Amino acid sequence: MTASQPPIAVAPAQPGYRPPDARGSSEMAPRSMWLQALRETFARPGAQFGRVWVVLLAFFGVFAPILANSYPILVKSKAGQVFSPMLANLFPIDFTLIAVFMAALILWGTGRFSFLKSLLTILAIGVVTFLIAKAVCNPDPTPQYDEYRRREVAGEFSSVIRTIVPYSPNDRLRDRGDQALLPPSRQYWLGTTEFGEDMLSRMLAACRIALTIGFISTTIATMIGVSYGALMGYNGGTIDLLGMRFIEIVEAIPRLILLLIVTVSFGRSLYLMMVVIGLVSWTSDARFVRAEFMKLRKLDFVQAAVAVGLPRWSVLFRHMLPNGIAPVLVNASFGVAGAILLESVLSFLGLGLGPDDPSWGQMLEQARKGGRGFNWWIAVFPGVAIFLTVFSYILIGEAARDAIDPKLKKLRD
Amino acid sequence: MPEPLLQIRDLNIAFETSRGDVRPVRDMNLTIFPGQTVAVVGESGCGKSVTAMSILQLLPKPPAKYLSGQIFFQGRDLLKESERAMRSVRGKDIAMIFQEPMTSLNPVYTIGDQIVEAVALHQGKSGRAGYAVAQQALEDVGIADPARRLGEYPHQMSGGMRQRVMIAMALSCQPKLLIADEPTTALDVTIQAQILELLRKLQKERNMAIMLITHDLGVVAENADAVAVMYASRNVETATVEELFDHPMHPYTEGLFKSIPKLGANRDRLDTIPGTVPNPQRFPAGCKFHPRCHRMQGDVKCSTVEPNLREVQPAHWASCHHVPGYESALVTIPTISHKRQITARVTQEVNA
Repeated sequence: MTASQPPIAVAPAQPGYRPPDARGSSEMAPRSMWLQALRETFARPGAQFGRVWVVLLAFFGVFAPILANSYPILVKSKAGQVFSPMLANLFPIDFTLIAVFMAALILWGTGRFSFLKSLLTILAIGVVTFLIAKAVCNPDPTPQYDEYRRREVAGEFSSVIRTIVPYSPNDRLRDRGDQALLPPSRQYWLGTTEFGEDMLSRMLAACRIALTIGFISTTIATMIGVSYGALMGYNGGTIDLLGMRFIEIVEAIPRLILLLIVTVSFGRSLYLMMVVIGLVSWTSDARFVRAEFMKLRKLDFVQAAVAVGLPRWSVLFRHMLPNGIAPVLVNASFGVAGAILLESVLSFLGLGLGPDDPSWGQMLEQARKGGRGFNWWIAVFPGVAIFLTVFSYILIGEAARDAIDPKLKKLRD
Repeated sequence: MPEPLLQIRDLNIAFETSRGDVRPVRDMNLTIFPGQTVAVVGESGCGKSVTAMSILQLLPKPPAKYLSGQIFFQGRDLLKESERAMRSVRGKDIAMIFQEPMTSLNPVYTIGDQIVEAVALHQGKSGRAGYAVAQQALEDVGIADPARRLGEYPHQMSGGMRQRVMIAMALSCQPKLLIADEPTTALDVTIQAQILELLRKLQKERNMAIMLITHDLGVVAENADAVAVMYASRNVETATVEELFDHPMHPYTEGLFKSIPKLGANRDRLDTIPGTVPNPQRFPAGCKFHPRCHRMQGDVKCSTVEPNLREVQPAHWASCHHVPGYESALVTIPTISHKRQITARVTQEVNA
């Protein structure tokens, strides 16, 4: 520093000082608000339980066809040929999910990339895998689940490696005679359904549906709610007034009845259900974002962002949104739980998914109409799964709310 | 006389409220030349900040509306520019720093990310090149170890540091005019002096004009070339800094000087201006200052006719019926291209 410069009261960097590692335990480590909130959220025992359960569900959902499949993983024929009937019968979506899951795990594990970069990479990997798998995969459209069991019994193979649960969710075990409504046993760990399908296999497959319906409908709801609320909150005035009235109209629609009408008139469809749930549950997100934006737009750093000449979208979504999204994220957690419950209710009423798409709610319905008394295993396992899943999301949501809102945290301590 | 950088001409702004329009800025005229520091002085709510915000078109419309006037920046009328065109002016030609350094930076991004975003926008330099510019900008404002500071979040910095960062961000795109809206109000005195010193130094290096909004006459004395005093949304006096401090003409300016505590003066009470600032919804008729003015002495003219800004003496404008020579003076647009020569003398005036 030369003598002509003004005196500057900045502490000189200590010699030998190294910026603390972002992953280190030092309290002074430069860490974004988000990382800190995330860390605090999952420091709570409730959220830890929730996370373990949801990750477990995701694992089951992604790897369901590898964990439970009637097609063996590897088969060695008498002639010495080795092939994999399981791989040949996987759907493109199975490969895509596995690729995406592995990519996410690797990127998260290395922790080298920013959130956005990782997300884009994962999306790209997903799309590419899907396209390749779509070109390569050729699963049997009318699967013969018992084919390999018959051939094994007939002595065609010298050795067979099976999956942990050797039954596909829709395998009705026709080759074994009447296997319907068997209670849990060594052969069928969670029992069988009225059609003779293995319960455990169906439970695993249902994980995927539960997670998908929760995530997709919540994503739709969040995207609509955030954009809508952001516009209302930022503009205010007449736009806000009309926007709020429209929200009230949407909120007045009874969701369950709307879903019933839609399924009755358009038929059963998982995707339609996700979209409809998403389309009616964005209002609370919009309210939260609106309130946050009304507060934020007066703040200095938003004014400063405008004064720097940043375009409107950048001010809205880069500078305001990250500061106002906390309640939406908390709400999303509850939203996932709500969507899973709603799907279960619909399926239980027999208006959800068909018997070929295993879902927990639809299994509950089977427990009711199966006959031959109360088949407890068909009711208890999906029931517990629904309970634990919804409970997990609520625990995570609560923990996130506590972590983000310091006032609430103080009250509780 | 050089070409003026910024000319505000007869600017009138209204805010629509449920109880009728409020006029935060009336008949405002201001001229700023390149490299000049023009101070806009006045108490809270007198329209200083609204004037500044209107230059960058930062006022939300509604409730704000521009009733009349022009704001010429390098010859183009900013009030006629589209939002898109304004965006390329903001930050690039005219930058602004705010009063509250604690809340002027986005808490979720690092310092580096915030500076680089502005640099990328106006200079097309992103990534490594952008960070190099940002690092240089931090170095220019005297932040030690700028490379490390770029990776830090605003909450890890003190108020003075953040104001430096704000200045670095504002100056990273080499603006021709810097609007400093009470840049030192939230800082303690030693940091204030440093920040002002820094602004002076950077101004000299870059021949940048500064519009300094403040209510601190000490800051004005130390920094300004020309001063515009505002009262009740109007410009009541404009002069060079020396002239204004030597011969204040308007009774409001006079009152402001009297209410500065003086070192060594043996007095119990500080002089104050009696009364309070009028509510913009119920401005008095005539001169807006007359209910608080000691010169009025029952003069009906004061309470009926609002005086306009007249050039009472060369390069000294005032709007008061009781200033000698006011009646015969001409109504002209205040334009002062003067730059201060001596800083010590004016400083002494304030402290004397």
